[in-house]
Amino acid sequence: MILDRLAREVEALIFASDEPLSIRQLCEYTGSGEDSIHQALDRINGAFREQHHAVGIIEVAGGFRIATESEFGDVVSQLFEGRKPGKLSRAALETLAVVAYSQPCTRMAVESIRGVNCDSAIRTLLEREMIRISGRMETPGRPLLYSTTRTFLEYFGLTDLDHLPRYEEIEELLSMSPSEMEERDLFERREDD
Amino acid sequence: MTKGVQVRVSCRIELDSFEGPLDLLLYLIRRDEIDIYDIPVAHVADQYCTYIRMAQELDLDVASEYLVMAATLTRMKSRALLPRHEGGDDEPDPGAELRRQLILYRTFREIAEELQRSEETWTDIYTSPGERERWSEDTAPAEPGQASLMDLLKALSSLSEEDTEIPSQRIRRTLLTISECIEHLGRRIPPGDTVSFWTIVGPDPTPTRIVSFFITVLELVRRGWIGFQQAYPFSEIRLRRTERWNVDP
Repeated sequence: MILDRLAREVEALIFASDEPLSIRQLCEYTGSGEDSIHQALDRINGAFREQHHAVGIIEVAGGFRIATESEFGDVVSQLFEGRKPGKLSRAALETLAVVAYSQPCTRMAVESIRGVNCDSAIRTLLEREMIRISGRMETPGRPLLYSTTRTFLEYFGLTDLDHLPRYEEIEELLSMSPSEMEERDLFERREDD
Repeated sequence: MTKGVQVRVSCRIELDSFEGPLDLLLYLIRRDEIDIYDIPVAHVADQYCTYIRMAQELDLDVASEYLVMAATLTRMKSRALLPRHEGGDDEPDPGAELRRQLILYRTFREIAEELQRSEETWTDIYTSPGERERWSEDTAPAEPGQASLMDLLKALSSLSEEDTEIPSQRIRRTLLTISECIEHLGRRIPPGDTVSFWTIVGPDPTPTRIVSFFITVLELVRRGWIGFQQAYPFSEIRLRRTERWNVDP
């Protein structure tokens, strides 16, 4: 397959950019419409596949970038040996989950859901740049507010926050009062029976 | 059932493997095949407390969160055992809040597991070039031996250059008792006249004086010794003696 001018422009832009390029940026830089960009992306990935390349264009953190296929993880990881941090602990993942769905939120909010002290988990997540301090809550003590970062989206391969798993379900649960939740539980049980 | 439970609780206790009291509770609920929507509070409280007690007997360091939950469960259990007042019983179901917490926590725990699976997948995918800069030499965490003692000393001295003397001041606490205030009020309010609250506090309205006099006013109003008037919120408060001032002392 021979790529046309637009597809090659898109490929060049994504290759050279140091951050994910959004559809809007791609449209702007190439002077094309969204549909043409999507088709161009398909053509590029088609060409990569056709020739069994080890890379492809993926959508992550609100934009597109070139990424290696996961089967080459072992080979590529040698480049970053000793530098790439280990996997996140369960405590860190749980804390991150709560922050992701209720951001911006305080440490207290996370702790009330997890039922344990989250100091060290939050520190780890800040160090790994998965979360950042996004402000202070205007209540007594002015506690710090935490939000997730783009690093978080990239790390977990999420395109944006709306693509968090079961986003709507959690939103609903979080906004419910205990009595409402109970009503819903009863309803669900009846469905189960 | 009791016998089966005893056999099961005698299994090894590893509190460390739980992510807190809610996690332990979810484990117990699943172990005993309890319906999360219909938690027998007394049973769960007993199981939980047994677990904690055994952990303590094994000299394990039990984090305070676990003890708080034990106390909460015990309180819920006693509530559940008490007979309920007929009618006008606004007491919420003690299980409802616990259920809410457990469901929320369980949902987030599942999300964390999903995130973990994504992490597993995405850890093998590398992008070019920006993202991996995060793992360049510059931003990688310091390895042992990478920073010398000199680096630390330099960092310390750059800090101490900015050092400013911390101003010190002795704060003296002035004591003003309620009975002193009452005496003061008696002198300042002539019988049959009204006086502003701020006049009573005097020309030096320190927080201590304001609070002391305000409490005194509340106390005297309660006793019925003085009456007060305030036209609208935050406006001036005017005080006057009542007939009982002289009667009751």
